[in-house]
Amino acid sequence: MIATANNQDLAARLDAMSAQIEWLVEQQRKRDELFGEMTPILREVMATATERLDAVEKRGWFAFARELSTVAERVLDHYTAEDVRALGGAIVTILDTVRALTRPEVLSIVGEASEALTQPERAEPIGLMGMMRASKQPDVQKGMAVLLSLLRNVGRASRALSDGDRGDAKARLAAVIGPRRKPRPQVAERALPSHAPAAAMAAGPACCTPASKPAEVATVVDGVSFTADGHLADPTQWTRPLAERIAAGQGVTLDEARWKLIECARGEFEKTNVAANIRRLTQLSGLSTRDIYELFPKAPGRTVARIAGTPKPAGCI
Amino acid sequence: METTHEAHRKVAIICSHGGLDEAYPSLILANAARQSGIECFVFFTFWGLDVITEKKVDRLHVNMAGNPTAPMPTMVAGLPGMEAVAAHMMKKQMAELDLPSARDMLKILDESGAQLYACELAMKMFKRTRDDLVPEVKDIITAGDFYDLADGAQIIFT
Repeated sequence: MIATANNQDLAARLDAMSAQIEWLVEQQRKRDELFGEMTPILREVMATATERLDAVEKRGWFAFARELSTVAERVLDHYTAEDVRALGGAIVTILDTVRALTRPEVLSIVGEASEALTQPERAEPIGLMGMMRASKQPDVQKGMAVLLSLLRNVGRASRALSDGDRGDAKARLAAVIGPRRKPRPQVAERALPSHAPAAAMAAGPACCTPASKPAEVATVVDGVSFTADGHLADPTQWTRPLAERIAAGQGVTLDEARWKLIECARGEFEKTNVAANIRRLTQLSGLSTRDIYELFPKAPGRTVARIAGTPKPAGCI
Repeated sequence: METTHEAHRKVAIICSHGGLDEAYPSLILANAARQSGIECFVFFTFWGLDVITEKKVDRLHVNMAGNPTAPMPTMVAGLPGMEAVAAHMMKKQMAELDLPSARDMLKILDESGAQLYACELAMKMFKRTRDDLVPEVKDIITAGDFYDLADGAQIIFT
């Protein structure tokens, strides 16, 4: 039983194979016919093509192409695919530039200008004075103007360029050689000097420059805090009895004239938050400098400020 | 609450130049000394005499020529009248800051107890007499007198 089944299978396969062989033979025959027909045609085509190529060769096209391929090789040696891509991006600009440069009027200017270079024997050496004389000629003046505007445009373009890639160029450079210096601190981040707050700095002339230091308590007398140079740490704590006590500590007795000056200083401070210096005191009280030095012989500005419970006056006057 | 150190302090300032910009440092240092309760005297010599000369004190000029920090090239700064222009501009700026004029500064110094002296030799050289000087000047003294006065003082030369 099994043998019979195998034989039937084999017969079916042989059938299929004979059909395939028949197809192959048919194909082969067709190909032979095709070659038979094509060969004369191809011979004709080849002859014509050879003739044409010969003519092309005689006209130097191949030599040109060979040279061109050498050029292409050189280009490939020096440029990467990325460069070419970049070139593609710039091609419009390049063409624009070439078009602008090859306009007839531009070319004629270049031609005229290069005449000077082709006939250098006609140009005589000149010195500084010669240059100054030449600068009076209208042609030279015009030329200078053109060259200057050229320079201006070159400068503007290169500045724009350097501004443009400063970021990534710097970053790349920094990646290669490491950062050369620390980044400059931003203006906004820079802390204002603590003894001169911005708002106070902006106000007023030199004679009443403020001195609103953050008061550091150095001594405490009877529950009242003083700074190291003897001013009230907290000016709002000031009272008249306290002023008299401070004055006594300074070796000063407060009479009417002295009280008037203290009140001037106190009033000015409460109004402007600025400790008045001697010049300001003369303006406020109407007293002369001499009067003030007579009332408070030793450093009157500071003494008055201490008694009036204001910070130390600033300014040189 | 003056410290004992401050109580004994004394400065002697020598003012040897008569430009507006050169006079002010002396005058302001002297005034600041008095404000701080420091004994102070100023010795005016050579061109500094102009600062205490009646006819000159209101006309002190600023010389920009040859000054590398001047805001103009020396060729420009040397033009006639440029000193007056520079002085005018500087005086304007000082007025904006409410700085007293040189003459007022001398008055303030005198009233605050600073002592102003003129140099005797310079007075002879420039052929000036006591009458040419502003009234605030206390005396005309020699270099030797200066050293006597400066005994124990810090000396500042401007």
